[in-house]
Amino acid sequence: MKPPMKPPMKPPMKPLLCLCMLGSLLILSGCWDRTEINDLAFITGSAFDRTKDGKYLLSVQIAIPQGGQSTGGSGGPPGKFFVLSATGVNASEAFELIQKQSSRRLFTAHRSVIFIGESLGRHGINDVLDVFAHDPRQRLKTYMLVVKGETGMRMLETKYPFEQVPVEAVKELERQRTEMAVTLRDYFIAASSQGISPVLGAIESERASSDGKDGAGNLFKLAGTAIFNGPRIVGFLDANETSGFLWATDHMKNSRIFANLSGGKGNVGIQMHRAKRRIFTHMRGDKVQVNIQLEGVASLVENNTKLDVSRPDNLAIVRKALEDAIEERVRHVVNKLQKQYKTDSLGIGQEIYRGHPNQWKRLKNDWQAKYPEANVSVSVKLSLLGAGMAGPPLQLYDKEIVK
Amino acid sequence: MRRLRKWGRMLPRQLSLPEEQPTAADETAMVSPELEANERYLRDVFQDCSDLVYRSVRLKAGSELLVVFVSSLVNEQIIDDHVLKPMLSLATDVPATVDDCADALLTAGTIERTPSMTTLIRKLLDGYAIVLVPAGHNAITVKASGIKQRSLEEPSSEPVIRGPRDGFIENIAVNMGLLRNRLKTSRLKTESFMLGELTQTQVIVVYLSGIVSPALLEEVKTRVKGIRVDGIIDSGYVEEFIEDLPYSPFPQVHSTERPDAVAAELLEGRIAILVDNTPFVLVLPMTLWTGLQASEDYYIRWPIATFVRWIRFLFIFIAIFAPPLYVAVTTFHQEMIPTNLVLSIASSREAVPFPALIEALLMEIIFEALREAGIRLPKQIGQAVSIVGALVIGQAAVQAGIISAPVVIIVSITGIAAFTIPRYSFANGVRLLRFPMLFLAGTLGLYGIVLGFLGILLHLASLRSFGIPYFTPVSFGSLKDILIRSPIWARTTRSLPYERSGKDQ
Repeated sequence: MKPPMKPPMKPPMKPLLCLCMLGSLLILSGCWDRTEINDLAFITGSAFDRTKDGKYLLSVQIAIPQGGQSTGGSGGPPGKFFVLSATGVNASEAFELIQKQSSRRLFTAHRSVIFIGESLGRHGINDVLDVFAHDPRQRLKTYMLVVKGETGMRMLETKYPFEQVPVEAVKELERQRTEMAVTLRDYFIAASSQGISPVLGAIESERASSDGKDGAGNLFKLAGTAIFNGPRIVGFLDANETSGFLWATDHMKNSRIFANLSGGKGNVGIQMHRAKRRIFTHMRGDKVQVNIQLEGVASLVENNTKLDVSRPDNLAIVRKALEDAIEERVRHVVNKLQKQYKTDSLGIGQEIYRGHPNQWKRLKNDWQAKYPEANVSVSVKLSLLGAGMAGPPLQLYDKEIVK
Repeated sequence: MRRLRKWGRMLPRQLSLPEEQPTAADETAMVSPELEANERYLRDVFQDCSDLVYRSVRLKAGSELLVVFVSSLVNEQIIDDHVLKPMLSLATDVPATVDDCADALLTAGTIERTPSMTTLIRKLLDGYAIVLVPAGHNAITVKASGIKQRSLEEPSSEPVIRGPRDGFIENIAVNMGLLRNRLKTSRLKTESFMLGELTQTQVIVVYLSGIVSPALLEEVKTRVKGIRVDGIIDSGYVEEFIEDLPYSPFPQVHSTERPDAVAAELLEGRIAILVDNTPFVLVLPMTLWTGLQASEDYYIRWPIATFVRWIRFLFIFIAIFAPPLYVAVTTFHQEMIPTNLVLSIASSREAVPFPALIEALLMEIIFEALREAGIRLPKQIGQAVSIVGALVIGQAAVQAGIISAPVVIIVSITGIAAFTIPRYSFANGVRLLRFPMLFLAGTLGLYGIVLGFLGILLHLASLRSFGIPYFTPVSFGSLKDILIRSPIWARTTRSLPYERSGKDQ
């Protein structure tokens, strides 16, 4: 049996020192910002507007936590949200003023949407943007939308039947990516890059059929794209143009496209599966030659012509008509951007910068002037995967069908 | 082998015996040839012991013998049949001698002769009857112990669906028999110790020679021998004396009621310590994985056992981390919760006056109290306690706005998670860890949880059971019995590499 070992004598201060160090680690590491969840006011959406005297009007929509055991009580359901607003010379001052109206601490991490009123957008949004880039409590994945023809504050007051908090509905709309969905991050990237101008999604409120009380019968409707030149809105693209714009910027997801066949033979509809865009730039002296190639895979889901699309040559006719329609649409968008808005929202300058960096150095200073003269051609290559369940329309007699 | 850290626990404990046995004669007393002297001596030692029986027998030949036994410890049937009857029926002409008695008169099986009064006294207390013969320097002891014992039942602490249903009982001889019955080999070696100055409890160290590491065996024997205490009531006493790190919440000695588990662990090269008067057998060294294995794992099909094991791995994390995570996330990191969830948590907390930390602590303590009450109360009332607990806490407290519903959910999940841990003592340690983790989470948030987790991990990594690291079998080859319960035919190596770790000193 080995003799018992005596532990070596330790200096008596050591454990005390350890405790002190551990304690200061806990206290000094700045982790004392404990806040109970029911002491927070969850901001679900904000809106920025411009007042007549040139100040900023900040409105926030705050969700009212409810439900659980309190449901089923008497009396009508209280509001699920409310809107607070304040004016200030910048976003921080307005935010501070709103905080003074709120009994709970404003908490922005759950904000999903920021609305920009159109008048502010036309005036320039740079002054309200910096707070999102500086303040670490903001999230860059917040969607930013321009409210077309209205103030953002009115938008926040809209009630929406599906979601507990109306702004959640806007977030879900954006998530479907049927239209332009731009987050703060996308905006900042585009705004700080060379040869591309930022865009934002646009939204408007649409009056639903029910009673016309203030904001009660309104719904949200995505309304195309707001085109920015620098910090200012220069114009909008409508829904139709936006779908062409989406494809031209390679943001096309699965959406539906239709085309009329020439000669009034009817129309067809397709469901896109994959869409791809490539931009080729050529420099001929000072002349900029741009070729936008669009490729897509789709399947035919509607055929209102008398063609039997199960026959390959008929399908080719349909495909040609669709390609022409798409090309026309994209060409129209490009034209509008080039001639009307004179804004390079497509990022053609960026493509030149990537493809011909040396020429870009020469070009970039007067790109604003050169851009409208750039020669842009659009080519579309569509492949139709399937003709749907039935070749010829089932509602027609056999002899009516063009084989 | 790593030395004990606190050898001091093994130093002799002060026996605070009052001036007892003033009449006890000296320890070296021998059996006297005079019957009266012996009887006087015994009556002197066992003063005021009413259950001691002195039965004098007169043989036909005229000589007188004295039979002494403790009536509460012996089976009187044995004494009647194998001691008294043969003596009374057999007639001899000559006065009986010790040898005659032993060879011819007694028909009992186990007979010993001893000249020492001390031995006699111990034997008496062990349930032997002693036969004192005049004119002899030896006395005969006859094994007649017959204390009532309960029958073999399924251990209530470790039930199985499939597997043997016998469990250890309070009798060490029966327990030893249960082991022998499973390991029918002469390699099953035992070494017996008497521990406890007053209880004189038999403690048997059991191992399979050739499989067990000699260094480990030596260490275990040393530690067991070193125990000095006046009483050993349960194997828990032994466990506390021999474990490596008494301040750890994790048990370093595995205690089980199941003979099959002990047999299996002996086959893996572990050492078992049987203690008399308790059904709990100690097995060592213990590793973390022992704490997460049920013996049933080895009786059901291996894919199922593996799945169940993964469930346990998952739920041990839930058992430690679910309430702290809830507290940390709701008080520090609200941005981590999905918006809809954060709104519903916030709404259910609207009426609650306490911070989340206090709320969770309150619920956890109430839960532990309910659990404890359920165990301590008689079975019939135990049911009532759980019903009251469920109704009062689950329903009324939430409606009254004292506790929020999410906390009730979290605490229930945690409670269930702790019950998935098959080893009771291990589960206790895990349950205890939840409270410091809660405090860390409530003061430091996720940062605190990470600190706590690191602390637990470091502690586990440095913890050793008899020189074996607590995480031991984590090497590629032996993972076959850790992450998965591989089929028994696929396991060709024993899971504990004792010899290797025996070298680190």
